[in-house]
Formats: sequence, structure tokens, C-alpha cells
Amino acid sequence: MSTSLRPYLQCVRSSLSAALAISNFASQTSERHNVPEIEAASSPELLLNPLVISRNSDERTFIEPSVNSVRVSLKVKQADEIEHILVHKFARFLTQRADAFLILRRKPVEGYDISFLITNFHTEAMLKHKIVDFVIEFMEEVDKEISEMKLFLNARARFVAESFLTPFD
Amino acid sequence: MAQLNYRTINIDVLDPDSSINFPMDTLLPATLPAPTTSSAAAAVAGEVRQLLRGGDPEAALRHVLDTAPLGGDERAKEVHLAAVTEVLQGIRQGEMSRVLEGVCTGEGGAGRADCLMKYLYKGMASPVSNQTPRKSVSPQNTGFSQIQGRNLGEGGGGQQMSVLLSWHEKLVELVGTGSIVRVMTDRRTV
Repeated sequence: MSTSLRPYLQCVRSSLSAALAISNFASQTSERHNVPEIEAASSPELLLNPLVISRNSDERTFIEPSVNSVRVSLKVKQADEIEHILVHKFARFLTQRADAFLILRRKPVEGYDISFLITNFHTEAMLKHKIVDFVIEFMEEVDKEISEMKLFLNARARFVAESFLTPFD
Repeated sequence: MAQLNYRTINIDVLDPDSSINFPMDTLLPATLPAPTTSSAAAAVAGEVRQLLRGGDPEAALRHVLDTAPLGGDERAKEVHLAAVTEVLQGIRQGEMSRVLEGVCTGEGGAGRADCLMKYLYKGMASPVSNQTPRKSVSPQNTGFSQIQGRNLGEGGGGQQMSVLLSWHEKLVELVGTGSIVRVMTDRRTV
């Protein structure tokens, strides 16, 4: 692991464990409703100060806490256009299967690649430190996955170009 | 007369008793320090620079955190953030723990720790200034190219962020995650 990745993930881990102190809170605007306040934004006093954790200008995490929900958005490193396309495809693949991920948000927050929405029902049903572990592991894996895909893509492109140009040899 | 779709109006906004019109200033304590201006913040920055040059990083950090413009305007806050960042970058990696322990103990130490935590998050949230805008348009009209400036593995501002991140790690070790919770809940932003 690169030297600057560890403090970054450590910072996300501690911030996320602090932000995940959420409890059940029924909607103040409509009776018998219970909505994630960070999405509804129906009362400003229920939204806490958002936190940004950045490793550099194109790799950052945005944590928006509220009384009963936390929205975590990730911006994955994209060094060039291939990585940009790969990240887009990867995020699309995941968000289309958002139901299976439980905490994945179907649409990322503007300026970010992928978002999670963690509500108090998730923290009640699942262990909090496991949710934090999942997000951290996801951040580690997604970088690895993208660079692996990029290598595969380049290898395949080279192979295709070689076999395409063989008849002209 | 202009056509207006009355169903799309959010009537909660018009109701003064609605939760969306919650008076946010009631969440601020009455003991908020008097508003400061950017010139006052600049004066503090000068004092702090002098302390830092005098070889007393602990006093510099203590002073800059004690004078945080909690009630100031945006400009004053920006100037002060620059001063804090300068102090943090001016302290060597090996000295961090010792300085932090000195700053976060004694009279008002917990308040200073929370203030430092606020500045660490604010520093990470603010965009890095010395950064060349990356050209995202492809030079070929096929729309795809791998030709681009050399990528050095890090985006802009990696150096500054890694300083803030290591401060954050040290501070969490010292004061725990409670400080982060106070950053999120405290309406007195820096």
C-alpha cells in the first residue's frame, strides 16, 4: 500500500465511525413518514456539517451526516481517459445492482463517482464497524480493480492490433 | 398573466412555523466572540509567522487556534485558514506528537483540539490553489486518445493533503473520535 493511502483510509475510517452515530427519527413534515433526512433536507437543523477528506485533488471522500442518515460519496482516482471510462462503467454496473448492496445509492452525488446512503435502519440491522470496514475495503478494491482492468484492456488492445496487422507483415 | 403551476410550489417554505424555516441562529451560543475582519486575521497571521520563525511552533499553533475567527466573515476565515495551514506545514513530522500534546493539554486544550480538527477538515475541503486545470478534451476528433501530460501518480495538492492527513491521524490518536463528532455538530464554523 502506498504511503499516502494509509493515512487517507485511516482518516476516512475514523470520520465515518464518528458520523455513523445515527438514530431513528420520524419526518417532521409528514406524519407517519420516516425518510433519510440527508436526502429530504426538510429541516436545516437536522443536517450536520459535511466533511471532505481528500488525498489529492482527484481522490476524495465526502461525508454528509444527518440525524438519521449518512451519505458517503467517493471520487475514485482517474488519471486518464481510459480510467475515466472504466470508473464510469464500473460505477454503472454497481448502481444497477444497488438493491443487492443495501447501502449503495442509485445515483452518485454531483462531482463524485459513487455514493452510499447509510440510514439508521442499516446500522440497526448490521454491525456499525462492519459497515465502516465495507466502505474502506470498497475504496481499496476499487482502485485495484480499475488499474487491473486498465492493464487487461491495454494487453488486449496490443493483442488485437498485432493480429490485425499480421496479414500486412 | 404568467402561468404558474401551484402544485409545484413548496408551501412549507412560506409557513414561518414549518421545520424548513428553523431559526439556525438559535443553535449558536450567546458567548460567540465578536466578529473579526480580514485585516485582524492578517495581523494574527503576522504574529504567528513571527512565533514560527522564532522557533516556537507550539506557541504559534496555540496562538493561531486561540484566535480562530468563529464569528468572522468569509474573508477573515480564509485568511486565518491560510495561517493555520502555514503553521501546520511549518512543523516537522518528528515534532508533531510533542507539539500536539502541548497544545491539547492545559487550559482550553480540548477547545483547541476541536478547533484544529475543524481546520484540518476545512483545509481538505478547500480546493488547492496552485493547480493547473486538467484538459479533459481529447485532442483527436475520434474522441479518444491516450496522449496527455505525464501523470506523476498524484493529483495536485497531494503534498499538502498528506500533511493534513498525518495531523488528523495524530490528533485522533490523542483526543479520539469525539472531536470529529464535535466538528460535525458545532455550528460555529471556522
